[in-house]
Amino acid sequence: MPVRGFVHKYGDNINTDVIYPGRYLNIFDPEEMAKHAMEDLDADFLKKVKKGDFVVAGRNFGCGSSREQAATSLHVAGIAGIIAESFARIFYRNSINQGLPIIIAKGVTEKVNDGDEIEVDFETGKIKDITGGVEIQGTPLPPFVLQIVQNGGLIPHLKKTLSGS
Amino acid sequence: MGKTIIEKIIGGHAGKEVSAGDRVWANIDLAVIRDFGGPNVVLEFDEATNKGKVWDPGKIAITFDYQAPAKVAKVAENQRICRDFAIRQGIENLFEVNCGVGQHTLLEHGMILPGSIVVGTDSHMNLLGAVGCYATGMGTTDIAAAFAAGRLWFRVPPSVKVIFEGGFTYPATAKDLTLEFVRVMGADGSLFRSVEFEGDMIDNLPLSGRLTLASMVTETSGEISFFPLSGEIAAFLEKRSGRKIEPVISDPGAVYEKEIVINIEGLRPKIACPHTPDNVKDVREVEGVEVDEVFIGSCTNGSFEDLKAAAEVMKGKKVHPRVRTIVTPATSEVALKALKDGLYEIFMEAGAMVTNPGCALCTIGHPGILGEREVAVSTGNRNFIGKIGKGAEVYLASPVTAALTAIEGKITDPARVLSKV
Repeated sequence: MPVRGFVHKYGDNINTDVIYPGRYLNIFDPEEMAKHAMEDLDADFLKKVKKGDFVVAGRNFGCGSSREQAATSLHVAGIAGIIAESFARIFYRNSINQGLPIIIAKGVTEKVNDGDEIEVDFETGKIKDITGGVEIQGTPLPPFVLQIVQNGGLIPHLKKTLSGS
Repeated sequence: MGKTIIEKIIGGHAGKEVSAGDRVWANIDLAVIRDFGGPNVVLEFDEATNKGKVWDPGKIAITFDYQAPAKVAKVAENQRICRDFAIRQGIENLFEVNCGVGQHTLLEHGMILPGSIVVGTDSHMNLLGAVGCYATGMGTTDIAAAFAAGRLWFRVPPSVKVIFEGGFTYPATAKDLTLEFVRVMGADGSLFRSVEFEGDMIDNLPLSGRLTLASMVTETSGEISFFPLSGEIAAFLEKRSGRKIEPVISDPGAVYEKEIVINIEGLRPKIACPHTPDNVKDVREVEGVEVDEVFIGSCTNGSFEDLKAAAEVMKGKKVHPRVRTIVTPATSEVALKALKDGLYEIFMEAGAMVTNPGCALCTIGHPGILGEREVAVSTGNRNFIGKIGKGAEVYLASPVTAALTAIEGKITDPARVLSKV
């Protein structure tokens, strides 16, 4: 089912140190984590973000460390999904395992602007830019992985599948 | 159809033939947590399983290398959570705060074998590719799930062959080769790829140099890298593990996405400039930049051979009075060997300090953080903004370049000053 929200747009190679600074690595509470999302990249992020918004980014989003807080903090801060030209390997897993859907969409940074309202269908990978009036076809998560996201992340998924089988 | 190394390893653990791009569940040989990330794994595992039992306590290891020993109450508490978990679960492989960098410690203890799958909460787990192990860094949820189920889902990475042509001599080192690789590939040049290295220099690279190169495959966003196993390294693994070592090699006809040739003939010493590891230049291009601190250590350059290379440069000399020079052995085994071989004397007489083993400055778990606008040369693997001090500038270089820079007080090209006799 497509969902709508506004875009917060960033560049290439956004690393986990700026998404979630190392000085907060000892925090466990997701709500507390969310207070530091994007702190070293965009100091106004938390003022701007609303529940259901999207992050749009360039290549290799989430490179750097394995810290899962990078995905968790964005998710809890209200981000409903991330659309990027490509994702770093660990961030890709972390966001899926957290139940935060992502789409790889070549050309998204050219066609979508910061602040645009977009409609995203995570099942088909279709992204409609309502503001700009353009459509982009991204690569949806394969059913195998989408199922993990739809179950709310890896732990709920395992609980469901292990008890079900 | 011929298989690549990664296809063979994942396929062997999935119980079926796999090809690049496949998504499969595969069994885990070893799941590792450390003092950051680790406590989150324990809490997630306890919550998800209602304090159930782990799948196999013998296949779990806990290492304390982030802030070892703890300096703040929060970390002390986090380490206690991990220790309590080990006792409750019967996990015997707990490496205490004296041991040092987790991956290196596991390797020394014979727990890493070619062809095995190791997962852990450290983005530089993949340095264990140096011995043919598919080791990969993951988030806390993945590791919690591995603790419960003993298996995880994997995308099978496409493989890329990287061939180094030509050769180089001292004072260029494995770190300079590594930085050249990072420069050529860029920050996402090996994005989710399995890199298989080839070339004469690779064949002759000792374990320490392979660990250096394998660790920084992370900085090109690679998943893992592999090397043709040398007899020397196979003998080391056999001795440490007490097991017969079977290297995993790719089949004739294995499918590679591409082949990249990197010419390293006459390679000059390299340095990664602020603020990304792929911003690599010849050291001679940035000579003269004044430096406040030099850090020699990390999972990338904390091996005995790295310390020895730095000590050879510092022997009989004094570090510049402005340059705080911190040397951190990767593990207690490295520290002990360095002590016995007189390296501590050389460092301390030169005015450098030697800290206890661990990740030290690299994770800012331990002292040495920089002030605003201060400049450091580090032998670590990342120089992102804020990584080791807000407002600081970090250059990444070899232990040779770092040691020479410490003496001169400014970035100095070893190729101009040093040559091996």
